[in-house]
Amino acid sequence: MKKTLYIFLLATQILFAQNGFEKGNALYQKGNYEEAITNYESILQSKKHSPELYFNLGNCYYKLNKVAPAIFYYEKALVENPNDETILNNLKFAQKLQIDEIKVVPKVGFEKVIRDFTANFHYDTWAWISVGFATLFLLFFVGYYFSQTTLSKRIFFIGMFVLVFLILIAVSAALFEKSHYDNDRPAIIFAEITAIKSEPKTIASDVLILHEGTKVFVKDTLDDWKKIELTDGTQGWIENKAIREVK
Amino acid sequence: MKKNLVLVLLFLCNVILAQVQFEAKVSKTSLGLNERLRIDFTMNDDGDNFSPPSFEGFRVVGGPSQQVSQSWINGRSSFQKSYSYFLLPTQKGTLTIKQAAVEINGQIYKTNPIKINVTSAVEQPRDPNDQPQVSTDNELHLVAEISKTNPYVNEPITVVYKLYFSNNIGISNFRELNKPKYNDFWSQNIDIKQLVGEQGKYNGENYRFVVLRKTVLYPQKSGKLEIEPLSLDIDVQVPTNRRNIFGQVQLVEDNKRVSAGSKTITVKPLPEAGKPIDFSGAVGKFNFTVTPSKTNLKNGESLDLKVVASGTGNLKLFTLPKPIVPNSLEMYDAVHTENVQTPLSGMNGSISDSYTIIPQFKGKYPIKPMSFSYFDLRSGSYKTITSPEIMVNVLDGPTVSENAVATNTGVSKMKVSAGEQFQFIQLKTNLYNIKRNHFLGSTLFYVLMFVPFLIIPILVLFKKKKEAIDGDIAGNRIRLNSKLAKKYLSEAKNQINNKEPFYIALEKAMHNFLKAKLHIETSEMSKEKIKEILLTRNANSETVQSFINLTENCELARYAPSSSVAIQQDFDKAVVIISDLEKQI
Repeated sequence: MKKTLYIFLLATQILFAQNGFEKGNALYQKGNYEEAITNYESILQSKKHSPELYFNLGNCYYKLNKVAPAIFYYEKALVENPNDETILNNLKFAQKLQIDEIKVVPKVGFEKVIRDFTANFHYDTWAWISVGFATLFLLFFVGYYFSQTTLSKRIFFIGMFVLVFLILIAVSAALFEKSHYDNDRPAIIFAEITAIKSEPKTIASDVLILHEGTKVFVKDTLDDWKKIELTDGTQGWIENKAIREVK
Repeated sequence: MKKNLVLVLLFLCNVILAQVQFEAKVSKTSLGLNERLRIDFTMNDDGDNFSPPSFEGFRVVGGPSQQVSQSWINGRSSFQKSYSYFLLPTQKGTLTIKQAAVEINGQIYKTNPIKINVTSAVEQPRDPNDQPQVSTDNELHLVAEISKTNPYVNEPITVVYKLYFSNNIGISNFRELNKPKYNDFWSQNIDIKQLVGEQGKYNGENYRFVVLRKTVLYPQKSGKLEIEPLSLDIDVQVPTNRRNIFGQVQLVEDNKRVSAGSKTITVKPLPEAGKPIDFSGAVGKFNFTVTPSKTNLKNGESLDLKVVASGTGNLKLFTLPKPIVPNSLEMYDAVHTENVQTPLSGMNGSISDSYTIIPQFKGKYPIKPMSFSYFDLRSGSYKTITSPEIMVNVLDGPTVSENAVATNTGVSKMKVSAGEQFQFIQLKTNLYNIKRNHFLGSTLFYVLMFVPFLIIPILVLFKKKKEAIDGDIAGNRIRLNSKLAKKYLSEAKNQINNKEPFYIALEKAMHNFLKAKLHIETSEMSKEKIKEILLTRNANSETVQSFINLTENCELARYAPSSSVAIQQDFDKAVVIISDLEKQI
């Protein structure tokens, strides 16, 4: 009895969330962006999300010309669904609203090559791939162990070595991707105008003045300050309250 | 001898006559400060390049006047040339008139310096009829009127210089001796085109006055600031007791210096409390607007953004805020225009900065709200005006990412491309929990990763065991036979407690065993036949006998009383016999 009640509650919650999404869509269609945002955010409060939800929230804020939240939600959508054309397209539109133009210095070298490869899959997908390879390794062993002809034995034996190699690659790719995910902490500046300081002190000299919507990467935290790096490699300290972390 | 003496004398006379003289003569060596001095530089030969001394401590009021005279007296000619100056001492004490120089017949002659003793002003004896009826001291006043003596920094104050003079005297001319310099002020002089005499009161008495000078001042720093005095040298006409032939009072010219004393004003600094960050020093009452010429543009068009502050206040003395636009909008430097009048009440009008903005790419661009703060004098507080945010909408044009692709195909085709558009929201979604269980690093991941590797040794062990079992043939047979016997006897074993069904089952089991082993039918089952077949198959005759005995025993036991111990013995015996037979056949 209790169980059915729980299932019922869960079901209604999912239904309710789905409802909120559709309601939000209808309000967006009517041009009532503020209320659409309230509906969408109610879904977030019920601890559910999806890249589409973040994308729609970003659209609402873009329509309201609020640059920082728009970019923030597009970036959040990209975390859930990287390399999505639609999200990248609208993010580009939102970025035009921002004041600062910071050069994006492309990363080069060996690490970039590795990252390009590992970024093809999420680290959980990499984990599943390694599990798949491990299972395949077992099957190859069985094949090697029980097969009768020398040729098939040889093929299975070589296959086993190849698979060990592949397992190592997949596991290290998963670990690399995971560490990249954990160390890559993008944040969006929400304060309308804020100073990047050379030290985590209010009296320290300004390195730069940044405006809302600019994307930064958090590197370190000290009390109420965060050490950040810009896309062009400039580093500095910013007050905690001026930014919101995407992840 | 006498004759000689006369000759010598004559000769000397000639020599004396021929001597050039150049000297300075003063009318007096001691004079009062209010008296004038005449100095003549006289020479008895025509000279050139006269250079007068610098007359330090004196003011030249007349001269130089040149005078040349030549006379013949008793056949003797005398020549005289002189330069004259009239000097007025400017200070008391012993003054020295330095040397003057002149060139005569190619030689430079100089005068001796002259010492002049200047005493304080002396009363000049006058004709009592010429004596003015009134003293000018109380008839002439120069007054500086200051509108406010404790203004704020940058609050306009006015200084009006008025010259009051009584009805008795007239003024013919005035000269400004020193113009006041307004240090630490921004000053604007208001030109007075024509002096107009007006009636007014000074110290409760009727006077006439003229406004000489109007100045608007904006103090630029706080504290005690001094306004320097204005001094005038005024030529006044004072009536005397004399009358002319028409009976009119004759006037006498007099000269008088007046000065408006220096004034000190205390300038208050602007209050620090509530001072906005963007305050740029504007004080007064302003209106602030930011207007774009247009907000919807096509590619290549420009827009003008006009930032205007209008009202009254120190318009020329502050800067307008600069608009903040996205970097992808190209904004050029502002054109600053001022339209400011400065009447006595202070500056009014408007100043504006006009920015030309050229967008480069398609999209929406915000121009941030701009705020302008000023100090409102009336309420004594800071006010901030914020302009609304302006959205610039660029309707077409290249998008940021789009690169111009050079098409060099000969035929020009209409290129149909949707271009990049802002995408509509997504209509379908799959919601999932924000708190996600990561597979990587989870227990399931480790289990799934290591299970295949754990299975490998198990497989190896299993195979090894199987091979070992396959290798042991005799053991296998035994195990197989006892297994068979057990299979046949299982029914009997179930019935071990009931005598009759037990023996039926036992007999059946033994028959079944023979049937399976010897492939004979139940109809052929006779003891002799069984014995024969078994013996032909090399079975031990003892075992065969015990088998026969057991079957017989089964028949007997079914109807005879027997104990449970006997039943168990029979069962064990059957097991042994079947196993033995199995081995032997």
